[in-house]
Amino acid sequence: MNMMIIMGVMLLVSLAWIVWFLKKPLADNGVDLRQSNIDLGKQKKLELQRDFDQDLIDQVQFELALDEISATLAVELEQQSVKPSNVENNILSMLAIVVLLPIFSIGMYQSLSTHKFTTITTQIVNSTPQALEQSIQALKQHLVDEPDDAKSWAVLGLSYFELNKFKESLEAYEKAYQLTPDNPKLLVEYASTLVSTSDNQFSKRSVALIKRALEIDANAPDALYLAGILAIDIQQFELAKGLWNRALSVLPKDGKDYQALAALVDELEQADKKQASGTVTAVVTVNVTIADDILATRSAEDYLMIYVKAAKGRPMPIAIEKLKLKDFKGQVVLSDLNSIMPTRPLSEHDKVLVVARLSRTGNAMTQADDIQITSAVVNVADNPTVSLELQ
Amino acid sequence: MLIEFGHFALVLALAFALLQVVLPVAGLWRGNFSLAQLSRPMLWAQFFWTLVAFSVLTSAFIGDDFSVKYVANNSNTELPEMFKISAVWGAHEGSLLLWALILSSWSVAVSIFSKRLPNEVLNHILIVLGIISIGFLLFLLLTSNPFERLDIIPLQGRELNPLLQDFGLIIHPPMLYMGYVGLAVPFAFVLSALVRGQLDSTWLRWSRPWTLTAWAFLTFGITLGSWWAYYELGWGGWWFWDPVENASFMPWLVATALVHSLSVSEKRGAFKHWTVLLAIAGFSLSLLGTFLVRSGILTSVHSFAADPERGLFILIFLLIVIGGSLALYAWRSTSMRSSNSFSWLSKESGLLINNILLVAAMLSVFLGTMYPLLLDSLGLGKISVGEPYFDAVFVPIMIPAVIAMAIAPFLRWKKDTVSRVGALLKNAWIGVAILFAISVYVVDNKFILLAVCLFIWIVSHSLWLLVNRMRQNSRPNLAFVGMLFAHIGIAVFLLGATVTTQLGIEKDVKMEIDQSITIKGYEFVFKGVDDFSYQNYQGHQGRIEVYQAGELMANLNPEKRQYATGMPMTEAAIDPSLYRDLYVALGESLGAGAWSLRIYYKPLIRWIWLGGLLIALGGLLAAFDRRYRLIAQRGKS
Repeated sequence: MNMMIIMGVMLLVSLAWIVWFLKKPLADNGVDLRQSNIDLGKQKKLELQRDFDQDLIDQVQFELALDEISATLAVELEQQSVKPSNVENNILSMLAIVVLLPIFSIGMYQSLSTHKFTTITTQIVNSTPQALEQSIQALKQHLVDEPDDAKSWAVLGLSYFELNKFKESLEAYEKAYQLTPDNPKLLVEYASTLVSTSDNQFSKRSVALIKRALEIDANAPDALYLAGILAIDIQQFELAKGLWNRALSVLPKDGKDYQALAALVDELEQADKKQASGTVTAVVTVNVTIADDILATRSAEDYLMIYVKAAKGRPMPIAIEKLKLKDFKGQVVLSDLNSIMPTRPLSEHDKVLVVARLSRTGNAMTQADDIQITSAVVNVADNPTVSLELQ
Repeated sequence: MLIEFGHFALVLALAFALLQVVLPVAGLWRGNFSLAQLSRPMLWAQFFWTLVAFSVLTSAFIGDDFSVKYVANNSNTELPEMFKISAVWGAHEGSLLLWALILSSWSVAVSIFSKRLPNEVLNHILIVLGIISIGFLLFLLLTSNPFERLDIIPLQGRELNPLLQDFGLIIHPPMLYMGYVGLAVPFAFVLSALVRGQLDSTWLRWSRPWTLTAWAFLTFGITLGSWWAYYELGWGGWWFWDPVENASFMPWLVATALVHSLSVSEKRGAFKHWTVLLAIAGFSLSLLGTFLVRSGILTSVHSFAADPERGLFILIFLLIVIGGSLALYAWRSTSMRSSNSFSWLSKESGLLINNILLVAAMLSVFLGTMYPLLLDSLGLGKISVGEPYFDAVFVPIMIPAVIAMAIAPFLRWKKDTVSRVGALLKNAWIGVAILFAISVYVVDNKFILLAVCLFIWIVSHSLWLLVNRMRQNSRPNLAFVGMLFAHIGIAVFLLGATVTTQLGIEKDVKMEIDQSITIKGYEFVFKGVDDFSYQNYQGHQGRIEVYQAGELMANLNPEKRQYATGMPMTEAAIDPSLYRDLYVALGESLGAGAWSLRIYYKPLIRWIWLGGLLIALGGLLAAFDRRYRLIAQRGKS
């Protein structure tokens, strides 16, 4: 049964409902506004009498209040309400509804509907909604029959990625890439997966894929976005801005991607302005010493993350400095320039805690073997110096 | 196909909302009864199709239909079934659909239970509710369609925010929405009265039980939210003056004022202008709150700009609702009868003071919430308004309100004298003075002393009121009992909030296995941490034994969870009691079996939510007072 038939049935039910109530109107409940106000006036007088009995009003005021109730009722009874009383045939109204309701409903639905029919891969999943593992099995079965379906290989790569099976994910993407090496969307997706699965580091392979994607389509927004991230990673902020501005020039201005990217460019520009003006309004100096026995068990490639979080409230970092152990010189200075959110810089906070964390992965989430120390509460306005010892 | 069915059902709901307005308006205009009476059938059909749409979306979540963008973004196959259902309202689109469904449910309730309202009045009310429904359904369909399909269907969905995977969050939003949306009913009563130009006894009497019910739900919803924040966020706090919390608190303050103001308008014919404005303000603030929270403007001004389409729609809708209703008020206000007179010392003046203070308190919260956003959006700089501001401004406004709250029920209507009130309360005040004196001797913290005195003040006056009522051999009605519950609830809340804030203890400690720490006579012994995994998360579970006087009294197992999306979550372990909570949150592993722990001792914290529940219960009891059924029964007979 296709959608048009279902919509037809729904419309028929709706029209039948309207016609039924036009033909057989609901009976009036027989309550008259005038009578309602009279009843309420009497009720109010009874309640006033009860208040008087309970000594909630004195004799003089009781009589005055009785008069007021009567006066109010008199005014209310002066107001006439027009009660519709004609019961008409309403043939014209019925015809108008029969014609307009389907036109409005179907027209509105058609203009809003985003449904598009999709590929064999999505049909497999859609027709049999299974758990992820089961869906992967179905996909693999499909790929045995059609091993050249690049799109299905890419979906398989994405599925494995969702299950954190990175090796299988990359293998599937590689298959898809071998089949369609000139699909910029796939190249970017593959590169993005490579970056995500290698601790957000860009490898030669991922950089090559991004470059290739841009050679095929110099204005591919996804590729430009990822290239911008790469530029940020190597501290080439102007280049990042240029790439993202190019992406902005091709993205539809009312789309979410455009807004998100524009916000990123804006953040870069704000950071530039701050750096240019040198306006650092708050500084937290952090000295960290690491015990020798800890250093002995750690690699120089391990990460040291030093961040500030609010003393009360949400525990996410306000400003952070992340560096490899080999690059750490004993002291870090955190300022607005290190703020995570340009809209809520360090200087806008008052009481904070300073945290130093030693991590093998540098992952934002705490890992089991991370070592961490938190300072006492300090006041940002004092430009404090905090000493922490990891032991 | 099912999804398209749901989407089309939502379109039909909009069509019926339009018919709910257009056909009765035409009928009223032409004096045609057959058309005018259609407001109810059209409303019922609107409710039916909205329910169908909601059910379809729910079934998409249960069936893991990731072809739907909203489902793919907020659920996955590993999510437990009950959270798949609550995920329906876990994000913007679904929660707006819930809004629309609850609005139509309230409207249906009004159409069924307002049997004593004349048909023409009910039609006007349903027309106003229909206009609000149109706004919401259009907002849903044009900017927040929950049935949007994905071009490429992911094999697995993302994750419902782990913070929302909790029982508290299953019931908190629907309860809060019941309150928010419920305020649409008194708003519709007022607007229909303004349109008809008949601000009479009928609308005042029959809008009051609806207002009380909405207010009770709002109270319950806010209380649930506070309880959830306490045990789920792992910070041990119960209220943060967060803008999102304030967005629900502002309509509550106005609704509280409205509940009292309606009482005076209904019984004594005073404050009518004030009541009308409060009803408009209450719903406008609830609209503002819902939209601000859902548009993201409160957490970041930039998220407003991130979706200009939604932002623009919100602004236009707010402008129509607030501007339109105020314009209508301005047009009709001259024809409203002037207020009946009352003396400076009377029940009316007591309730007026209460109203003024509540509105002033709301304005202080409004200023603290909106001013930073306004400055930021105009590019005039950033300021941060937090707890110190609210403590300094809000609390001093509320203290006199609480003091007046205890006295006002003793005052006579229209006029009273200081000597009579003094004589009536003399004995009570002697008792209160003795209790105050004992408190001064026993309590050494000035804030707790103030809270204890206010607690004694409210409870003793409430009990004295009950004694007086009993003496008169008068059986207390539900409205009276409800008032006592609500007022005592305020006292219970006040004491709980102050004691837990002042005497609560928080310790951040590093603990090694078998190491212990003693807080307020409770010895917490750390016995280690186990790894565990569950359906859609894994993590670490701590083992803490709590001893009192050498006897084991609780085993606490705080958790640190890692969800499939990688989002970490802290699940605190709590040993609750009416007297105090012991609360432990697991921190970080510090190596060699040692962990950081956050341990709280929270005295009387349960009183906060107990107070909230008493207030909500008071509202519900008052809403079911006999006099709201009396005329209905008489009408039937």
